[in-house]
Amino acid sequence: MYAVELDNVTKRYGQQLAVDDLSLRVPTGSVYGFIGPNGSGKSTTLRMIMRIIYPNTGDIRVLGGALVGAGQNADRVGYLPEERGLYKIMRVNEILRFFAELKGCSVSSKDIQDWLDRMQLSDCGNKKIDALSKGMAQKIQFIGAVIGNPELIILDEPFTGLDPVNANLLRDIILELQRDGATIILSTHDMSVAEKMCDGIFMIFKGKKVLDGSLNEIQATYGDDTVRVRIDTNGTPIGAAPSDGVQMDGMQVDCVQIDGVPGVASVSDFGQYQELRIEQKADTQDVLANLMKLGRVRHFELARPSLHDIFIRIAGPEGAEAQEKSMGSGSRGSGSMGSDSTDDAGDLQEVSRA
Amino acid sequence: MHKVLIVAKREYLAAVKSKAFILTMTMMPLLMVGGLILEKVMRNRSDVSVKRIAVIDRSGEIFDTLNIAAQQRNANDIFEELSDPAGSDADADDATGSETAEKKAPRQIAPTYVLERVEPAEDRTTQLFELSNRVRKGELFAFIDIGPNVLDTGNNASSGDSATKDGATKDGATKDGATGGGVEDGGVEDGGVEEDATAAVRYFSNTPTYRNIRRWLRVPLTSAIHAWRFREAGLDPSTVQWALKSTQVDNLELLRRDETSGEIVKAEKISDVTSFIIPMIMMMMLFAVIMTGAAPLIQSVLEEKTQRIAEVLLAMVTPFQWMLGKLLGSVAVSLTIVTVYFIGGAIFADRHDALQMVPFHLIGWFAAYQVIAVLMFGSIFIGIGAACSDHREAQSAVMPVMILIVIPMMVWPNVIREPSSTFALALSLFPPTTPMLMLVRQSVPPGIPLWQPILGLILSLLTTILFIFAASRVFRVGILMQGKGAGFKDMLRWVLKG
Repeated sequence: MYAVELDNVTKRYGQQLAVDDLSLRVPTGSVYGFIGPNGSGKSTTLRMIMRIIYPNTGDIRVLGGALVGAGQNADRVGYLPEERGLYKIMRVNEILRFFAELKGCSVSSKDIQDWLDRMQLSDCGNKKIDALSKGMAQKIQFIGAVIGNPELIILDEPFTGLDPVNANLLRDIILELQRDGATIILSTHDMSVAEKMCDGIFMIFKGKKVLDGSLNEIQATYGDDTVRVRIDTNGTPIGAAPSDGVQMDGMQVDCVQIDGVPGVASVSDFGQYQELRIEQKADTQDVLANLMKLGRVRHFELARPSLHDIFIRIAGPEGAEAQEKSMGSGSRGSGSMGSDSTDDAGDLQEVSRA
Repeated sequence: MHKVLIVAKREYLAAVKSKAFILTMTMMPLLMVGGLILEKVMRNRSDVSVKRIAVIDRSGEIFDTLNIAAQQRNANDIFEELSDPAGSDADADDATGSETAEKKAPRQIAPTYVLERVEPAEDRTTQLFELSNRVRKGELFAFIDIGPNVLDTGNNASSGDSATKDGATKDGATKDGATGGGVEDGGVEDGGVEEDATAAVRYFSNTPTYRNIRRWLRVPLTSAIHAWRFREAGLDPSTVQWALKSTQVDNLELLRRDETSGEIVKAEKISDVTSFIIPMIMMMMLFAVIMTGAAPLIQSVLEEKTQRIAEVLLAMVTPFQWMLGKLLGSVAVSLTIVTVYFIGGAIFADRHDALQMVPFHLIGWFAAYQVIAVLMFGSIFIGIGAACSDHREAQSAVMPVMILIVIPMMVWPNVIREPSSTFALALSLFPPTTPMLMLVRQSVPPGIPLWQPILGLILSLLTTILFIFAASRVFRVGILMQGKGAGFKDMLRWVLKG
């Protein structure tokens, strides 16, 4: 069973192609992460799922049926848009009741207070929105999206602007909602959130689907070409690239260059450790032997690539360049990579339909 | 429909809780009550001083008549009129009769005029200068210089001029039964100018804006001159007054036959209040309703657009449901305003025995026009709000619509004067001006043929539906658009292509 199904969905803003022939299945009861660089088409896709805007071609089914405007299905969906918006002069209680009524739910004052308690906003019920901090208003907006226990909850960047404590609180509640049976779609730029929370991950880049599947599936697709290392170099800094160097005591000091080690295709330096991508035909034992020449290897781990690394490989400068070159070529994993796509239009120039 | 009503409820509550609404609702009663209080306060603070006026009567025939007139005025015309006869309470309690009589003593509400005769001097300019100094010192309030030939103005062309110098035309003077005897405002500094001085009555004061004395002077002055002239001509003044008595023209409605009894019903007098002021009030109320009910929709839509509330709402309602909810909320707001004003007005009219002037028979029409006007202009305002990106843009875009709203305010006097003219009919059938102008025409007795308001209503209803349709298309496109606002061409494209 799928909560959301998209078939060959294309969306254009004038001459710009925002979403290109996108097909996607979001299983019921899952937490599905939408990732992708800014302007890649995430929000456009979410808006199309919500029927705020309509695709030029393709079909979208939500909770088993077409989500026509604000029909019955719409009442079973909660939506937290990327751009938060609340009536500033309304009181918290009033606005939450208003949202609930618009979804066809009758909520009692106790229901509202329970949600406020849950979000650690117990004393805010009678406050006006413009008296709240940004983080508090965001939590109110979140309650507005989930009040009435919708079956599908779509959260566009839910953690943006929240401090770690509130981010944890929100994460716990999202997972609780999932345990209660809701399907969650969340878009995020935080790869660790996607890795930790999501059962499935979908990545869109320049309007095209480039990743779709569970984290395991995606990582498996990208293979065991990753090595995580920590090397003791007796105080000499480690540089990821040959040109790297650092200022030490006012003097330019050469780094221990990992990038030039035979068999290493690229290096991501995380400070305390480095993540190396090994060339396809390279032997990891040879790489280890070469690294040992640079210093004492304290840690050497064969690992799968992190989502962050995969993201960078696809959307980073090299990945984008590679895509340009391999336009129309095959895909990796369950996703496909293409280049004939375009940016999401920054300014929404299209419409929702009644 | 349920969602439409929920949006309408929110719009209504947001509007009626706003400061602007509360201010609007309280302004009229406050102005009414404030006006009454001010009137009361001003009445209690009437000028009851003694105003001493020197009179140089160079004709030798006027002063005595003037002085008698001043004394009569001081005795009779400067006290507040009592509504109850003083004697009615005196019988009730003989013991306190004298005290009651004292309490009921008429209160002075106007200044006393005391005239002081000043004999003409040889050196006229020096005399006028000395009197001017007495005015400056406060010994006199003003002085009058009556020219020696003032009685002879009928034979003197220049004296006719002097009579009109203070703004009274010859026609105006004739209306008062006065020819000659105009009072020229000399001013203290004008004492040396003697042009036409022999035939004029010149009033000198240090308070040129105080016109009451000059206004009062005209009647006794003219009477004195007339009396002298009648005597000279050998005419009996009372006969002349009878002969010149003006005739009143009453304004009456047409006679009609009573449908039940078959008798001809006597024609009733039509007052200016019912024929002029009531239609004006009706139109003003409708104007106020549009401005307070429909105009705020621009700000409301702009707020939802710029504060990014639009996307949140569009996840729960369709653009059309949302827009319709906003319009219905505005209609409810306007109905609230009108209901409160109407009830308040009726109570006020009842207190002043003017309830019969309230056009109850037009309430239904008023409500219909009001709903249509709010929907029609409200939909335009919603469309503009959605298409614009900020308040400045919206202000520019709303100007043409404001002109449409203001047209009735510019033409209503003509429409009231000739409600059946082609001009009035054509404008009242032009949908944007129908609600206000058709109502004005209906308010003017005896009203207009029924087909005209019905046709006007149908035309404006169709136009309203068209406007709502067009606005909904502009709204659903524009509400999510950020950045630069849409131009007229864009809006037209959205309306035509959807």
